[in-house]
Amino acid sequence: MFAWLKSFASPKELSKAGVLGMNRRNFDIISQYNPRCLYPLVDDKVKTKELANKIGISTPRLIGIIEYQYEAKNILDIIHGQKEFVIKPAQGSGGKGVLVIKDYQEEGHFFTTASGRQLAYNEVYQHISNILSGLYSLGGKYDTAIVEELVHFSDIFKDYSYQGVPDVRVIVYKGYPAMAMTRLPTKASGGRANLHQGAIGVGLDISNGKALHGVCRDIPITIQPDTGADLMKIEVPYWREHLLIGALAYEMTGLGYLGADIVLDARRGPMMLELNARPGLAIQIANGIGLKNCLKEIDKSYPSGLSAEERVDFVLNKRAK
Amino acid sequence: MLKKIASVRGILSIFLFLSIIYAGYCIYYKVEYWGFHFTPKQTANIWSIEAHISFEPTGEPIKVSLTTPRSNDSFKVLEENTIAEGYKISKNKTASRLIMTSPAREELQDIYYKILLFDNTDSRGKTKSAAPATPEAPIFDEQKLAAAKQLLKLAQAREGDPVSQIIRLLNEEPMHPAVQAYLPVKTTQKIMVEIISDLLALKKIPSQIARGFKLQESKKSLSPDLMIEAYTNGSWRIYDIKTGKKGIPDNFVLFQRGGQSLIDVEGGENSVIKFSVLKSITSSMKLAGQRAKLLNQEDRFQYSIYNLPLAQQNTLKWLSIFPLAILMIVLMRNVIGLQTMGTFTPMLLAMSLIKTGFWPGMLCFAIIMTLGLLIRFVMSKFNLLLVPRISAVVIFVILIMQSLTIIGYQLDFHIAQSAVFFPIIIMSWIIERASITWEEDGALNACREIIFSLVVAIATYFVISSEYIRHIMFAFNELNLVVLFMVMLLGTYTGYRLMELKRFRPLVKK
Ligand SMILES: Nc1ncnc2c1ncn2[C@@H]1O[C@H](COP(=O)(O)OP(=O)(O)O)[C@@H](O)[C@H]1O
Repeated sequence: MFAWLKSFASPKELSKAGVLGMNRRNFDIISQYNPRCLYPLVDDKVKTKELANKIGISTPRLIGIIEYQYEAKNILDIIHGQKEFVIKPAQGSGGKGVLVIKDYQEEGHFFTTASGRQLAYNEVYQHISNILSGLYSLGGKYDTAIVEELVHFSDIFKDYSYQGVPDVRVIVYKGYPAMAMTRLPTKASGGRANLHQGAIGVGLDISNGKALHGVCRDIPITIQPDTGADLMKIEVPYWREHLLIGALAYEMTGLGYLGADIVLDARRGPMMLELNARPGLAIQIANGIGLKNCLKEIDKSYPSGLSAEERVDFVLNKRAK
Repeated sequence: MLKKIASVRGILSIFLFLSIIYAGYCIYYKVEYWGFHFTPKQTANIWSIEAHISFEPTGEPIKVSLTTPRSNDSFKVLEENTIAEGYKISKNKTASRLIMTSPAREELQDIYYKILLFDNTDSRGKTKSAAPATPEAPIFDEQKLAAAKQLLKLAQAREGDPVSQIIRLLNEEPMHPAVQAYLPVKTTQKIMVEIISDLLALKKIPSQIARGFKLQESKKSLSPDLMIEAYTNGSWRIYDIKTGKKGIPDNFVLFQRGGQSLIDVEGGENSVIKFSVLKSITSSMKLAGQRAKLLNQEDRFQYSIYNLPLAQQNTLKWLSIFPLAILMIVLMRNVIGLQTMGTFTPMLLAMSLIKTGFWPGMLCFAIIMTLGLLIRFVMSKFNLLLVPRISAVVIFVILIMQSLTIIGYQLDFHIAQSAVFFPIIIMSWIIERASITWEEDGALNACREIIFSLVVAIATYFVISSEYIRHIMFAFNELNLVVLFMVMLLGTYTGYRLMELKRFRPLVKK
């Protein structure tokens, strides 16, 4: 009769496992370390990109921006000479409104998307117009459209994901990378890398980028259901560079608790796609460990006053032992 | 960090504590002095007693003196009214008599005196007073004295205190032979009172007559009931002369105490006084102002909600349930962890459900949602811009509501007409949100959001639909302050949400 109760943990058990709950995250961490005035730095991708370039974090190169409806027709001038590019909203979230153009024929203005769909100029124009009118941004605010360089995703994740592009999310606390996972799109998630849509989350060892534990829809898994690949064999290359992006993002924004979304470009290595001032808690499930203890340890025994590089090395050495 | 929480929490807890004390005091105050009730629709009886005095003038200057109830005698006087044309009216407060004077007149005189009373059940039937003089023993012949003494002896075997004992003995059925012999053949209430009084005097217990009315509606005119008051243990106590019961019976209003006459007419003869009693019912809330007035607390009452025009009171009554609904939302989101569409959407839905009734509301909601989502799906093919698109949805929702109402009217299907009570903009946003979630995160997530929102709305509905809770939140509106600090204190709650206990369950090591 009370069997369903077993699917609930007691608060004591969760606390013992070091799980960070939503209320504590909001009250103890975000409201303490992320002053609201810093949010615009990460909410607007144009701003994030500018700051990132200044501090030396690599991001997809900005080709152009369109701010007002009357500028929408300028798109042809902006993409002149480009073969492939991405058009996306500056304040979008959850991958909404991202249009990936893999092939653009200047003659006749033919666009081919990543999924192979053919688009005519007026459809692209309409898409930009939608972005500007706030269709994809929170609360329907007017938005800016960004045209940026296409990332050529490295092949190493190819076996692990269905269509789409996996990315790596690093949680950075007080400048120290605290926890990481990679998000792998599945058939069920429609090729999108969002966990709540059914993508797989694989927790990564913060000291070496190796797979620790995998979940899909909050259920532990070890095999990618679409491709049959062994998720536990994942090892993210350029791990130090990944962590460095996270650590620098702290310097760049001043946010004490942030999530950095990083993709791996085949030629240029890890690139930061976006930053998040309120990263979710699902990463704990992907890692199979609670975040609270990690954060507590950083509070207690990690030195302050180190540079980004030193912090990354500190993390790499600490966990390796 | 810890210290900061502790202090914020500490301060809020102190405020919560203070607000509870304040609300507690106000509740006590309103119940005690304004007569508020914890249950809704409480009514208080208001009695109107009318005395009709008529007499024939003798041609001399007229002076009519009528005894009136005192307001501290267990009933409170709301209003006093005298209709006595051409008379000069004055009041003798100490003796509580109404005095009407007039020069000589000729025709038959009619004077009306009317009072409105309500029961406040405070001090009943016990009046402290200095000891009166010991009564003189009645002058009886020997035979009668012997009989009286026998009665007193017999009475001792009866129940109760000496006064009740005597009354009980006299009223016993079947009558004791000794009593039968003692009482005159025909007794009236007045004679009865006199006999009791004499017997008490033999025992050196002072006593006096009291007149009053049993408040019960009757068409015919009444004459007052008599009771006897005896002085024992330092205060006057009143006794029913039939049952010997101590204290004023329920709904009995004392008109006159002591030896004074009910009415004295100078300059008139054949005076007749007739009483009639009428009952009317008012909500106890309405009486509050009158009560406050009697207690000289008008200011306090004037600046309360309850002194506003009724229409405004109703609006405020509606508003005063909001804080509780908000508390529900906070609990559902931050303690249970249900993600809903928009923060206050469920609350607004719950409000609509109150107006429509539960099932009719749910049915209309389902119909509007289904039709709205269908239309929205068709519309998503057109790729409209955001503002025009949501505007179109709003217009569709209005059209759906109109058709529902018309169809409901034609088919005599009244519940369909409750559609108009749903907030149009809110419904449109729900439809918009649901269809976006549907497209992006799949039907499962969309349905889950709708269902969670509904669950929260229904839970909120059940809290605020209770007439009882609504009444309490309005009558004791200081409770909203308590709710405020509870909500703020919940803002510092950092524990796990109920849903997280399930979500993070896999993280617990076995
Ligand atoms: N420059 C790009 N090149 C290739 N794919 C991109 C690029 N920018 C975004 N994407 C794709 O879109 C997804 C969401 O992009 P992101 O910038 O993170 O938007 P959001 O903030 O809405 O999540 C990424 O996971 C990636 O698959």
